[in-house]
Amino acid sequence: MPRQDTGDLLQGTLGILILKSLVPGTAHGYAIARWIEDAAADVLRIEEGSLYPALRRLEDRGLVASEWGVSENNRRARYYSITAAGRKHLRNEAAVWLRYSQAVTRVLRTEPAVT
Amino acid sequence: MSGDSGRAKRWRRYLRLGRPNARADVDDELAFHLDMRTQRNVALGMSPDDARREAEQRFGELDPVRDVLVDHDARRNVRTERAELLSDLVHDVRFGVRSLLRAPAFTISAALTLALGIGANAAIFSVVHALLLQPLPYARPYELVSVGTGSAAEYLALRERLHAIRDLSAWVEQTHPVDDGQEAVRVEGAAVTVNLISMLGASPAMGRGFTAQDAIIGNNTVVIISHGMWQRRFGAARDVIGRRLLIEGMPYSIVGVMPPTFNFPNKQTEYWQPYAFEMRNVGLLWAVGGKKFIARLAPGATLDQARREVRTVWPSLRRQNPLWDPGPDYARDATVTPLQDDIVGSTRPLVWMLFGSVLLVLLIACVNVANLLLARATARERELAVRAALGGGRGRLMRQLVTESILLAVCGAVLGVAIGAAALRGLVSALPPGVPRADEIALSLPVIAYTALLAIGTGLLFGIVPAWRATAAGSSVRSVVGFGRRATAGHSHARTSAVLVAGEVALAVLLAVSSALLVRSFAALRATAPGFEPTNLIAARITPPIAKFVKPEKLSSLYTELIDRTRALPGVRSAAAVDKLPMAQSVWGMALRIEHQHEDNKHTLPDVGHLQSVTPDYFTAMGIPLLRGRAFTDADRADALPVAMVSRSVARRFWPNDDAVGKRIGYAFDSPWMTIVGVVPDTKQDSLRDTLATSIYVPWEQRTRMSGAEMWLVVRTTEDPASVTTAIRRIVRETNPSVPVSDVRTMSAVVGDSMSKTRFTTLLVGAFATLALLLGAVGIYGVMSYLVSQRAREMGIRIALGAKRADVVRLVVGRAMWLAATGGIVGIAAAIFVARALRQWLYGVSPSDPITLTAVSVLLLGVASLASFAPALRATRVDPALSLREE
Repeated sequence: MPRQDTGDLLQGTLGILILKSLVPGTAHGYAIARWIEDAAADVLRIEEGSLYPALRRLEDRGLVASEWGVSENNRRARYYSITAAGRKHLRNEAAVWLRYSQAVTRVLRTEPAVT
Repeated sequence: MSGDSGRAKRWRRYLRLGRPNARADVDDELAFHLDMRTQRNVALGMSPDDARREAEQRFGELDPVRDVLVDHDARRNVRTERAELLSDLVHDVRFGVRSLLRAPAFTISAALTLALGIGANAAIFSVVHALLLQPLPYARPYELVSVGTGSAAEYLALRERLHAIRDLSAWVEQTHPVDDGQEAVRVEGAAVTVNLISMLGASPAMGRGFTAQDAIIGNNTVVIISHGMWQRRFGAARDVIGRRLLIEGMPYSIVGVMPPTFNFPNKQTEYWQPYAFEMRNVGLLWAVGGKKFIARLAPGATLDQARREVRTVWPSLRRQNPLWDPGPDYARDATVTPLQDDIVGSTRPLVWMLFGSVLLVLLIACVNVANLLLARATARERELAVRAALGGGRGRLMRQLVTESILLAVCGAVLGVAIGAAALRGLVSALPPGVPRADEIALSLPVIAYTALLAIGTGLLFGIVPAWRATAAGSSVRSVVGFGRRATAGHSHARTSAVLVAGEVALAVLLAVSSALLVRSFAALRATAPGFEPTNLIAARITPPIAKFVKPEKLSSLYTELIDRTRALPGVRSAAAVDKLPMAQSVWGMALRIEHQHEDNKHTLPDVGHLQSVTPDYFTAMGIPLLRGRAFTDADRADALPVAMVSRSVARRFWPNDDAVGKRIGYAFDSPWMTIVGVVPDTKQDSLRDTLATSIYVPWEQRTRMSGAEMWLVVRTTEDPASVTTAIRRIVRETNPSVPVSDVRTMSAVVGDSMSKTRFTTLLVGAFATLALLLGAVGIYGVMSYLVSQRAREMGIRIALGAKRADVVRLVVGRAMWLAATGGIVGIAAAIFVARALRQWLYGVSPSDPITLTAVSVLLLGVASLASFAPALRATRVDPALSLREE
């Protein structure tokens, strides 16, 4: 899948996916990538490298926080967690997204009017 | 888990060993991701190489991502670092304020102690700044130099010959009666060479400056007036240029008004007149010295160059003198000094001494506060230990404590500036007369800046040792465990503060010895006989305008009438007049011819003493006894045989084995011999401090042509001179209203004024020494109280074992004495060393005067025992049972 096609879409949605992935608890970047991979069932394949700049953007906006920690296999890893502001943002964005996708779905299911 | 690395990071930040490394962190994070993905791929059955390749493929291009992240993180690190520093600071300040407020007694006493030290410093630094640091208010002041003093002829010759100097000017102070048509008063002015004002880089605010034309005799009846005179005497009239001003009764035409900022040589100067050279009067050109030479260095010339040049050029003028040979020593000490140094002159060491004294006081104040902090740290040990245990690193804790100290110092400084401002007002009003640039003394911005700097400096100074000790790793662990606190930590705190107090005592002793030496000098000075009897003696300065008294007879009849009328006043025993009053003006020396010894004025003539012209009753009025021969009488008139009187050392010098009476002396220029008719004792002429002066007296009626019209009346009264002073003013007014009278004062006051610098210094250093001793006493009290509270248990046991109260008191007081003695010995040793620098202020007392040293030692031990007595009493009241049960 060429990057251009999903670029704009990903800018907005990647953030939401990341935030969603952090709702259960803190996770490092790889874990987030794995969660998205599983949750999206390979439908939305993201370039994993783009995950990190996205995380920085979220952090700058105060939606996630990060901290160095030690991973399950005893390596130094950076852990991300969702902030209160992040949760609120996620709720709002998810609502907008759902409304939008429902609307699009409805439109797509409607028979086109013959003119 | 995150604590360790977080703390390590924080440590790095505090210690400034390095900042968090963005590149390494990003590399770690991305490597972790790739490794995890590779591991998973291997677990899914790929070969390691394929697994890695797949992971990298999934990741996409590594380098751009990495660069973006590194750049982003590096920026963010800088931002957080700044924010954290700021928030730490805010937090520390808040914490400091809270903890200071929680201990108001401590805070107030520490802040007050500091305020005293800082206030005294602010006041004295104002003086240092105004006198020594602030550049002179002239253009490019660093180029201005003083070239000494000399005659008009020397000025003209030097001006021709010096190349390291761009321009040479000369000036003399003048005080003349000035009349604007309404009121005659004595006003201070200056006769200046026409280039002086422009050389200083100044120009008149109105009218014009002087031109070369103004220096020609006949054209020189012009004057430039000060802004002050223009305002006061001419009501700031716009048309003042061209108006007339009577100086000494002669009309001068006002050509310019200087701006208010121009104060040369000082603020009192109200007019400047051009100095005109009487080129044909060789006697006047060469024989009258006292003109002050100032110059501006040539571009690029150094002070050294100018100095070297003056040292060769000036002595070479010896051969130019057409009147006499000034001798091989002529102009040998000629030198060039920066004008600022020259103006401040003898006041400079005084100012530095005061500055040194207040710095000592401040240092002592710092030691006291450090001690208070140490004692407080002991009380706060548990608090600090808990904070340390909760993860505040030592650096963080120290920073907190030092912030607290600086806060304290800032409080002290704010209070101190208030104290300093008040002290400065007192200081300026107590300033001895004649302190140069005194009007520039103010609590100015640089002084405030200095005070702020002082606050931070002192905060660090007194804060760091206690903070270091308080946060020492060992002590905090012990206190958390709650064990061994009394025995160990307390002891070592006590040792630190004992050392501090001993140091403080040493400083206080240093000041006390200096002060005591000054007091003794002052006492010795006061006990010095000036050679005349200053009590019940009044002097008054009479300044007749020369133009109205051109004829000598007119001047004679003025003074005869004044003296006669004064003598007739009730309560007046005798009255006379003298041209130069001792201790009020400098009386110049004179080269003299001595018959049969030094006759030829082409050869070196001896420089003899001070020349004064006096009226017949002068010696009676002054209370100077006659040793041989006779005093002057009314018969010694202008047309009578020229006579003179000499003081004892003149007689001894030239006629050691013979009677001076009947011998003849003469002026350096052509003039008839004067026969010596009487010998009187030497007297002090310039100040009590000077050695006895050798003096020559001539009858005023036989005075030289060079004498001015100004004279001082000296009036001996039977008792209280107060009523006579008003009468003298009235008599002068009635005799001739155009003659100003000024400086009507008792001779005791005049003599007192000659000691005013000494008195001022003595007073201030005395005040500082008292302050230092008081602070020292507080320090001893503090450390002994602390000691007693630390060793209460030991005292209790001693008492339980049968020690008497006296024993306990002796123990505590003895310890204080030991402390004081240690500090005292160091202080006295330092004082003996420092007192050598004081030598120029000392009079009649040696720097290592045993009486002074003993007195200070006794005083010190007294202070120490007094300060330790209350803690000692407290020690005796320790309940033995209580202290045994404790712990």
